[in-house]
Amino acid sequence: MKAARSIFLAVAAAFLGSAATAQQPAATVIAIPPLTSPDSGTKGNEMLALGWQATQLMETDLGQTAELMPLKSDRNDYYSYPEVTAPNFSKWRERGAKTLITGFVRTRSDGRYTVGCYVYDVDKGRELAREGYVVIPADLRRAAHKCSGLAYKAITGAPGMFDTRIAYVAETGSRAARVKRIAIMDSDGYNHKYLTPGDTIVLTPRLSPKAARIAYVSFQSGTPQVRILDVGNGEQRPLVPGDAMTFAPRYSPDGSKVLFSMMLGANSDIYVVGTNGGYPQRLTVSTGIDTDASFSPDGSKIAFESDRSGTQQLYVMNADGSQQRRITFTTAAYSAPEWSPDGSLIAFTWRMGDTRRIGVIAPDGSGEKILTGGSADEEPSWAASSRELVFQRTEANGRPALYRVSLDGSAPRKMTIPQDGSDPDWSGTMD
Amino acid sequence: MRKAILLVAALIAVPASAQLPGLRRRAPAPQVPVQDPVDALRADFAAQSGGTTVYFAVGSAQLTPQAKVQLQAQAAWLRQHPDVAVRIEGHGDPADTRDHALALGAERAAEARNFLMLLGTPAAQVSAITWGKERPGPPSAVTTILPPSGGAPVVPAAR
Repeated sequence: MKAARSIFLAVAAAFLGSAATAQQPAATVIAIPPLTSPDSGTKGNEMLALGWQATQLMETDLGQTAELMPLKSDRNDYYSYPEVTAPNFSKWRERGAKTLITGFVRTRSDGRYTVGCYVYDVDKGRELAREGYVVIPADLRRAAHKCSGLAYKAITGAPGMFDTRIAYVAETGSRAARVKRIAIMDSDGYNHKYLTPGDTIVLTPRLSPKAARIAYVSFQSGTPQVRILDVGNGEQRPLVPGDAMTFAPRYSPDGSKVLFSMMLGANSDIYVVGTNGGYPQRLTVSTGIDTDASFSPDGSKIAFESDRSGTQQLYVMNADGSQQRRITFTTAAYSAPEWSPDGSLIAFTWRMGDTRRIGVIAPDGSGEKILTGGSADEEPSWAASSRELVFQRTEANGRPALYRVSLDGSAPRKMTIPQDGSDPDWSGTMD
Repeated sequence: MRKAILLVAALIAVPASAQLPGLRRRAPAPQVPVQDPVDALRADFAAQSGGTTVYFAVGSAQLTPQAKVQLQAQAAWLRQHPDVAVRIEGHGDPADTRDHALALGAERAAEARNFLMLLGTPAAQVSAITWGKERPGPPSAVTTILPPSGGAPVVPAAR
């Protein structure tokens, strides 16, 4: 009897366990009282005001994640500088917080600020992580994003995606005379900038790993061709010389190479070329359209799309083009794959008839999952956390917009941008 | 290119010479709308070739029997007008993803161009480009544009 009961309990526990993993895990409550300052007097008040701005930014950052739920920050929750490293755990435990961020902003003699950031497990009363950032005043936002990232990584184990940038195509004008410009912004929408003048059609901006350069497609020559744009100084050059149509660029994870597609006659194949020049190496030779190649994070494999079977399907091959293997096999069309930064998943656009949606699949072809329910969702790009994607949704009025969606199955959220937008690309975490 | 420049020069020269003193004045021309010679060629090409737009099945760059009939007529017209250069503009399917649409438009344009060349159209007389799904135009189709817009018009020399 006793044995039977314990078996029953074990089975029940197994069921509960699987139910728990299948469901959305409850978000971890995090307290973010306003950053303090060791400075005194007017300077101290100034630093406390900046600290409060940074605190609100962190609350917004972490509130957008599926895994963390910030308590509403209160400007009156002042704590002294020594309490940064000795927080009042029982106070936060009583308010229901499981985790806590403390920190400070301090002036330096060179005019820059030091931002200290500390992450705690409130239940255990233990420090999880700490980091300091020295920034010019204009970069205080970035320090706050880095602090959000430190907390996110300490609690979830995944890299934070708050100090990252998103490049996309800004679209204005009527449908018949669309003006398209490459634009870039911080992932929270700040520092929005246009990088091309809109005098020619531009498509598919793809950021280099640290967002210093953008590979994109321009119709400037009449034929679509990949160009490389320096985000800092605006300088541009074609990726490869010649008149051939080149498209679908994507940087390697180390930034040393660019994958692209080249159309020769009626045949599109995948090539790779060094970012410092050199002769392009051809990786696929099939008839039909091979395109949208994306490296695995270790650079050893490439996911791509091919219609060699009659419909667009996803394939994986070695970085030298060998061992091409199909990984999707349904009657739907699969396209625009992008390998996740942690290597575990490949995001794609799923298409059946006129309906397009965003999905993910493991590199071995298992665990296919459709994440969105829109009618025209496409062009997914991973966040540095590998837990979220940005994508383009054409809304019912025919206008394209940018959306974010988490892997946890929650509803996609529309991003705020100054005009219509398409072809988003999300950078890795910046230095 | 040189021909085009010469033609433009000729057009300028005609009205100028008409105003020269001592020349016999012609009676005023009847008020018919003057048709641009390029527009006239365009209309003739569209009429003789059974339409400038050639359609494909969704997702396919294979020429249909109907497409081949149209392209045969286009090739015949181009044979009669060896001085006219045309451009084939390929369009993808509107529901396709961006890069595949771009490639499929290019593939369709290339297939149509290859077929014209197979029928004897010189390569220099026909170019091919793709709009993917970037330009409003006939979906899943190629359109033969005459003359290439944006460049200097190429029209036949006076016979």
